[in-house]
Amino acid sequence: MDRILPIITNNLDIYLSGLLVTLQLVGISFVVAMVVGTLVASFRIAPAKLLNWIGGFYVETFRNIPLLVLSIIFSAGLLRAGVSLGKMSAASAALGLYTAAYIAEAIRSGVSAVGKGQIEASLSLGFTYRQTMRQVILPQAFRTVIPPIGNLIIAMIKNSAIVAGSIIALDDILKVARIVNSRTFATNEAFFWAGVGYLLLTIPATIIVRRLETRFAIKR
Amino acid sequence: MRGNKRLWIIALMMVLALVAAACGDDDGEDGDTGDATGGETEEEAYEAPAGTPMADWQEEGSITIGVKFDVPPFGFENPQSGEVEGFDVDMGNYIADKLGVEAEFIEAISDNRIPFLADGTADLILSTMTITTDRDAEIDFSRPYYVAQGRILVPEGSDIQGIDDLGQGTTVCTALGSTYEGTLGEQAPDAKLDLVDAYSECFEKIQNGSVDAVSTDDVILTGMVIQDDSLQIVGEPLTTEPYGVGVANDETEAADFLSETVEESFDDGTWDGFYEEWVGQYTGEDPQHPSELTLEDAYELFPCVETC
Amino acid sequence: MGYLFDPANWEWIFAGRNFMFLVERFLNNILIALIVMAFSLVLGLLIALMRISKNKFTSVVTGIWIDVWRNLPVLLILLYFGLALPQDVKEFWVDIAPSFLPDQIKDSGQVVASIIALTIYNSAVIAEIFRAGIQSLERGQGEAAAALGLPYWKAMRIVILPQGLRRMVPATVGQLITLTKDTSLVSILAIQELVAAGSIVNNTSGSPFGGTGVPAPILQVYIVVGAMFVVFNLALSLLSRRLEVRERKRAGDVETITGLEDQIAIKQV
Repeated sequence: MDRILPIITNNLDIYLSGLLVTLQLVGISFVVAMVVGTLVASFRIAPAKLLNWIGGFYVETFRNIPLLVLSIIFSAGLLRAGVSLGKMSAASAALGLYTAAYIAEAIRSGVSAVGKGQIEASLSLGFTYRQTMRQVILPQAFRTVIPPIGNLIIAMIKNSAIVAGSIIALDDILKVARIVNSRTFATNEAFFWAGVGYLLLTIPATIIVRRLETRFAIKR
Repeated sequence: MRGNKRLWIIALMMVLALVAAACGDDDGEDGDTGDATGGETEEEAYEAPAGTPMADWQEEGSITIGVKFDVPPFGFENPQSGEVEGFDVDMGNYIADKLGVEAEFIEAISDNRIPFLADGTADLILSTMTITTDRDAEIDFSRPYYVAQGRILVPEGSDIQGIDDLGQGTTVCTALGSTYEGTLGEQAPDAKLDLVDAYSECFEKIQNGSVDAVSTDDVILTGMVIQDDSLQIVGEPLTTEPYGVGVANDETEAADFLSETVEESFDDGTWDGFYEEWVGQYTGEDPQHPSELTLEDAYELFPCVETC
Repeated sequence: MGYLFDPANWEWIFAGRNFMFLVERFLNNILIALIVMAFSLVLGLLIALMRISKNKFTSVVTGIWIDVWRNLPVLLILLYFGLALPQDVKEFWVDIAPSFLPDQIKDSGQVVASIIALTIYNSAVIAEIFRAGIQSLERGQGEAAAALGLPYWKAMRIVILPQGLRRMVPATVGQLITLTKDTSLVSILAIQELVAAGSIVNNTSGSPFGGTGVPAPILQVYIVVGAMFVVFNLALSLLSRRLEVRERKRAGDVETITGLEDQIAIKQV
C-alpha cells in the first residue's frame, strides 16, 4: 500500500466523476423504483384478484432474477428489439425496476402492519375506501415504511456497481478503480479508494436511517 | 420430526443428483485439450535444465495457459465441442508438445491476465497480449509470435473512415486493461471510451448501435467481421501490436525457452499452418511475419509510461 | 413486440447443445452458492457470538468488521479478491478441493477468490441474522436458564442457540436466494458460470466459429438465463415458506424476520 496517497491525488478527478455517476444512477433509479413500487404495491393490496396476481408476478420475477441479467436484458436486449435507451436510462431502468419489487413489498407490509381492523373500523364509520387509505392507513404505514426504504436506498448504492459494471459500462466508482488499476497495477490502493468512495455514501445513509427509525418508531 | 426429515433427505438427494450430473459431464468439457499434433516429436524430446520453470512443468505433467475464451479466431470456447479453440490455443499446444506435457486452458481476460502470472494461476499467457515496456515491469515476454495492427471497426454506412473521424460525440468500445485505452486516449482524445470486460461485449454493442466504433487488434476485428459481414474495418493502422507469450516476472530462462520454441514454429512451417487455418483463409492477406520483429523492437513501440 | 415473440428467435434453445450447456454452467452457480453458504454459516455464527460478547472490545471491533463489509458492494469485494489474492491461497485450494467437484471449480484459482470474497460478505449478513435470532430470545430464555443454574455457554448451547437458529431458517434461505443471484457476478471474474455461458451461446450459436447455424439473440438468451435463476430461487423461497409454516405450527406464532433481510439492517430487539 505504498502508493496509497499518489493514487488518489493523481486520479482525484476521475474518482470524483465516478462518484457523481454513481449518485446520478442511484438518484434516477430511486425515482423509478418509488413510482413503480407504489404502483405494484397498490396492485397487491387492491381488492381485485387479477391485479393482485399481476403485482405478485412482478414481485416474484424481479426479486428472483439477478440484477446483472436484468442489466443485459434492458440494454442489449431492448436495443435489439428496437427500443433505444441511452446508457443511463437503461441502467436506471434495470436498477429501478429491480428495487421497485422490494419497495412494493415494503409498502405492502407497512400497510398490512397497520391492521385490517383499522380499515374495517373506518369503513364502518362511513369513510370511503379512498379516504380510508389516504387519511387513516397511509399516514401510519408511511412511518413503518421509512426504515425499509432507507435501507433499500443503501442497497441501491451497492447494487449500482453491478449495473455499471455490466455490458452497460458506466464509469462509476468501481469502474474508475478498475481503470486506475489497469494503468498502474496498484490494485490494493485503487480498490481501497473505491471502497472509501462507497462507504462515504453508505455509512452516512445508514446513520440517517437508524435515526429515522428511532424517530418514527411507533410505540405499541 | 418425520416431515422435517423427509424434506432434508429430498434436499440432500437433489444436491447429490446435481453433483453427479456435474461430474458426469466432466469428460469432454473445456479444461484439458491435451496434445493436438500426434506425438511425432518423440525423437527430439526436450530435456529441461534442472531448476528451470520448464523442469517444473515437465514434473507436473501439465502447464496452465491463459487464453481468451471469446475472441475468435485466437481463443474462443466452442459450446458444441466443449473445448477452447483458436490460434493462441494451437500455439499453446505446440509449446506443451515440445515440453511433452498436457496443456490446460483457462480464461484470461484483459484485466486479470497479468495478475494470473503474478500469482501463479497461469504458467503462460497466450491471450492476444501486446508486448509493452510497462507490462515488462510486471511479467516477462517471449519474442513476438504474431504482429497485429490496431484498426477501427464500424457498421455499414458509417461516416467514420479513420481515426480522425472519432471526434466529439462519438463512442468507441475497447477492452478494459488493453493497450487501446491509452492509444485511443492519445489519438482520439475527444471520443468517449466504452470500456468493457470482453470483446464479445464490444461486438454486441456495435451490432446493436450503442457504440459507433470498436478499436482493437485487426485479428479480433476480423473475427467480428467473419461473424457479421455488414461490419467493416477502416482507416490506417493505428499501432503495431506485437503479441508475446507471457510468463511470470524475472523468469528469463522460461522466456528464452519460449522464444526458441516460437522461432522453431517459424522454421518448421507450423506457424504458417496456424496462420492459414485461423486468419489467412478468411482474410486472404499475407501477414507481417513476426520473425521480422525482435523483442527489442517491440519494446521500442511501447515505451515506458507508468511504471518507469 | 414482434421481435420478442418471433419463434425464429427461440429456435436456438433446441439447436445443438445450447440448452444443456446453459444447464451445466448453472450447476456451477449452485455449487458455488452452496459452498459459500456452508462456510458462511460457520463463520457467521462465530462472528455473531463475537458480536454479542460481553467483552466490549470484541463486540465493537466485530461490529465494525460487519458494518464495513455489509456496506460495500459485493462486486467490489469480488473484483478485489479476483485481482489481488496471493498465490499460496490459490494453490492451497487446488490441493484441497475434493475431486467430485467439476473441473472448472476444482482447478480454478479465480473460483477460490470468489468463494473467499462471497464468504466474507455473506458471513457478515448471516452474522446479523443470527444475532437477531439469538437476541430475540435472549431475555426471557436467558433469565430462565440462569435461574436454573446453567452457566453461559451451556445456556447458549442447549437453550438459546437451538431455538434462535431455528427461527432464522427462513431468513437464511432468503439469504441463500440472494447469494445465488450474487454468483452471477463471478462471470466478471472470468469464471465459467451461467451468465458467461449465455454470452458464449449468443456469440457462437449462429457463427462460423463453433456454431449450430441457428442464431441465438441476446434478448432471448438472457430471458432464458433469467428464467433459470427465477425458477430456482422461487423453489427456494417456497421451501422457505414451507419451513416457516411448519415452525409456526410447532411453536405457535413465532416472530420471524421479514423477507427483506439482505436489504434491511437487523435491529436489536
